[in-house]
Amino acid sequence: MGRAFDWLDKKFHIKAPHKRFLKRRLPEGLSYFYCLGGAAFTSYVILFITGLLLSQYYIPSEMEAFESIVKIQREVHLGWLIRGVHKWSATLLIIFILCHTLRVFISRAYKSPKELNWIVGCLTLVLVFASGFTGYLLPWDQKAYWATTVGTSMAATMPVAGRHLMYLIRGGMDVSGATLIRFYSFHVLWLPVTMAALLWAHFHMIKRQGIKGGL
Amino acid sequence: MDRRNFLRAAVKSIIAAAAAGVAAVAAYFMYPANVRARQLIYCECMDEDSLPKHGVKRAEYRFELKGKEMTAAVYLVNHEGTLYALSPVCSHLGCLVNYNRHTDVFICPCHGGKYDTAGEVISGPPPAPLARLPMKVENGRVYIGVMLPAVAA
Repeated sequence: MGRAFDWLDKKFHIKAPHKRFLKRRLPEGLSYFYCLGGAAFTSYVILFITGLLLSQYYIPSEMEAFESIVKIQREVHLGWLIRGVHKWSATLLIIFILCHTLRVFISRAYKSPKELNWIVGCLTLVLVFASGFTGYLLPWDQKAYWATTVGTSMAATMPVAGRHLMYLIRGGMDVSGATLIRFYSFHVLWLPVTMAALLWAHFHMIKRQGIKGGL
Repeated sequence: MDRRNFLRAAVKSIIAAAAAGVAAVAAYFMYPANVRARQLIYCECMDEDSLPKHGVKRAEYRFELKGKEMTAAVYLVNHEGTLYALSPVCSHLGCLVNYNRHTDVFICPCHGGKYDTAGEVISGPPPAPLARLPMKVENGRVYIGVMLPAVAA
């Protein structure tokens, strides 16, 4: 494993700079509260893997979505487990990312020179909420349908163009099969890809700027 | 082994074990849950009177798969008095062969494999003859035997 990686690293040159980062001395005064971001990222990785697996069986269609969920729960090997892990990791991700945000806010880690990292983190927070909201529709049961009807109708309260914004989000006048496909696309393509890019930027800036103060 | 190296090896082992566990669960999750043994099932095909007196006749038989009505083709051949059923599935890559009445051969449209009416390869890439399907006649009806997934009890 180590030798194979060294052979790759001759071409990629990623080991040396990361070694410096991973083996550096941590600054004084850190506590486990500084692990909340890492816990949130772990939840993201678990969601990514279980999501890849669930997409093998889920069918984003008006007629088949609910049935495919029932099939995952009852027929697919360990389907109940994978779906359960996906659901609970989603809940944990929301909790961890909120606690992480609170920790950054309390320790004033949003201040210059890390203000851009704070902004990237806030964008990630918004996208995490969007992932939770779009994922909630996918089981396509009564709770999902009405939660999305109520949730998307909030967009209509925006002045001037609110109604059109709601239609845009729904992909129609009401929540329908078009909304299901739209939310599925957001949930499995747009949001994870955008989040991956934002998280890369987030971690890159931590490497450059340090956890606490500068490196 | 000092403490640092021991801890490093321990952490690496735990990560490797966890990764192997995740991979095993993922493979088990993706493996289809409805894999069953196949069994020989006879499907009704035609009247005994419709069997070819000589030469080749294309026929269809119906069967049920996952609750859906399916149709498949079969070639019934009367070769100098012996009667047999030939599967139209080419032994090369599984395309369906067509019977050419003028040249009296089966030709595969995909890569030009040719079989005679006994199902033996004349030319082309097929590595084996056309499969002969079991058939039986009961109460004046002809049945073709095919391997289908066993019906769940």
